[in-house]
Amino acid sequence: MHAMQKKAFGFESPPETVQDTVLIHAHSRRVKSSRLAPFAGYRMPLWFSSIRAEHEAVRQAAGLFDCTHMGLLAIQGAQAEDFLNAVTTNNVSRLEAGQAQYSYLLDAAGMVLDDIIVYCRRHYDYLLVVNAANAAKVKAWLNGLLNHQWIIDEKQPDRGIGFSPKIQDLGELHGHQTLVDIAIQGPLAGRVIQSVTGFDPDTLKSFRFCEVEANEIPCLIARTGYTGAKMGFEFFVPRDQAEDLWEQLLAQGEEHGLVPCGLGARDSLRIEAGLPLYGHELAGPCGLTPYEAGYAWAIKLDKPFFIGKAAMERRAQNRTEEVVRLGLPGGRGIRPIRPQDAVLSAAGHCVGTILSSATVGDRQIALACVERTQATEGNPVGIYYLARNDSQVQQGRKREVGRNDTLPADIQGSLLARFARF
Amino acid sequence: MIADGLYYTKEHEWIKVAGTVGTVGITDHAQELLGEVTFVELPPVGKQVRQGDMISAVESSKAASDVYAPLAGTLSAVNDTLEASPELINDSCYEEGWIVKIELTDPAGVSTLMDAKHYETFLSEQEQ
Repeated sequence: MHAMQKKAFGFESPPETVQDTVLIHAHSRRVKSSRLAPFAGYRMPLWFSSIRAEHEAVRQAAGLFDCTHMGLLAIQGAQAEDFLNAVTTNNVSRLEAGQAQYSYLLDAAGMVLDDIIVYCRRHYDYLLVVNAANAAKVKAWLNGLLNHQWIIDEKQPDRGIGFSPKIQDLGELHGHQTLVDIAIQGPLAGRVIQSVTGFDPDTLKSFRFCEVEANEIPCLIARTGYTGAKMGFEFFVPRDQAEDLWEQLLAQGEEHGLVPCGLGARDSLRIEAGLPLYGHELAGPCGLTPYEAGYAWAIKLDKPFFIGKAAMERRAQNRTEEVVRLGLPGGRGIRPIRPQDAVLSAAGHCVGTILSSATVGDRQIALACVERTQATEGNPVGIYYLARNDSQVQQGRKREVGRNDTLPADIQGSLLARFARF
Repeated sequence: MIADGLYYTKEHEWIKVAGTVGTVGITDHAQELLGEVTFVELPPVGKQVRQGDMISAVESSKAASDVYAPLAGTLSAVNDTLEASPELINDSCYEEGWIVKIELTDPAGVSTLMDAKHYETFLSEQEQ
């Protein structure tokens, strides 16, 4: 029994150093370094041709995404399943070998630490894919659980996790053990996959994965993704073969219209689809949980225990906010909406806040957090832009607003269905 | 791409002086960083500006860039076409994408700005 005092989880991000991804040489052949921006500690291309063209390509043909910065953790051993059931909100026991699920890591207070995908290779061998921005935090959390460092149950501060699987960061290994993620998304993604692997991707159902060879490169291929595309896959490939696979996919995919896509299109695609981004629609300034974000199904309250369960039980009963998807005018001459801009009811009262926004075609699509009573599809809404510079402040525009403030709408639109279907 | 005969600021504005009037816009480097421009905030004609005062804001879906007066003077014209066609800043940043004209207090002030060659050196230093 450890005598060490348990603490509530806290994590200080170390000062951000910016690294290159394993695909930096491939990117440098296509774009100037000024097109690379720091994202989660990695220098990433914002776009290759244009955000608009890349977004269109994913909806009409296919797009290739550098996801090699994502965190990959292996959780292994006889206690892996029980451990994962205790630390994630979804039910890991439902996974067959070759099946994956979307899930959350919460702390004891019910704060979302990350949204993740859990891949079951075998019942003693799991892969966790975590957001690059949260990878260091998630590692500190999970390793700290094994060391009995953190409080996991606010009602029983001395409670220990009780399971000790082997946890490895696949980014820190060498050779063939280390895997990185390359995503290909869009209606023609299947044809590109077939030409590169000889494998018929229609045989892979959603959230299933298997091992294949892509032009003799061994990899995992999963039917998962972050663009809302029905046809979309992620390759998990050995790090030292990632650049080869990237170039081969682009070369063989060209005739199908495959293009490389940067962060700009990745963001506009997931916003159009309604998918959450940690720090915006989860956690973030509005402290949102999966309930507000529209993912109650991923919180399995019938599990006997998981970290954060008590908080989720309370939130399930007491929810006042909801994430919604808005359609608004966009394009030429219309000021782009930004996070923090105010969402107004038809009567002009502030009822919510913009979390994310993107230009899609000639519209803007935004995800916002609004009062639950306002969250009906078809509801008209207005947007009030917050002041972005001193000259706007001098003209009377406000830098901050509060709920229920009465404000004039700058543009008007309406609530769309929570998720888009493609 | 850098155009000759213009003067440049560290904030990536260009100014072309003819007599006492300076025409101002943003450079190719700046418009590339922004991506597709969808909105340009134009100031009122007649506004007096000092060197470095904000004269415009240019917005794309991914970024917003404030534009500053390279030299002091009075705004004598603004490019209204940018309201309906903000993409002119991407397509023709040195010509049709001009943003304001300034009746300059001191046209000789261009000597304090960078010429094309110096701006090019400045840009390549930024790349590193």
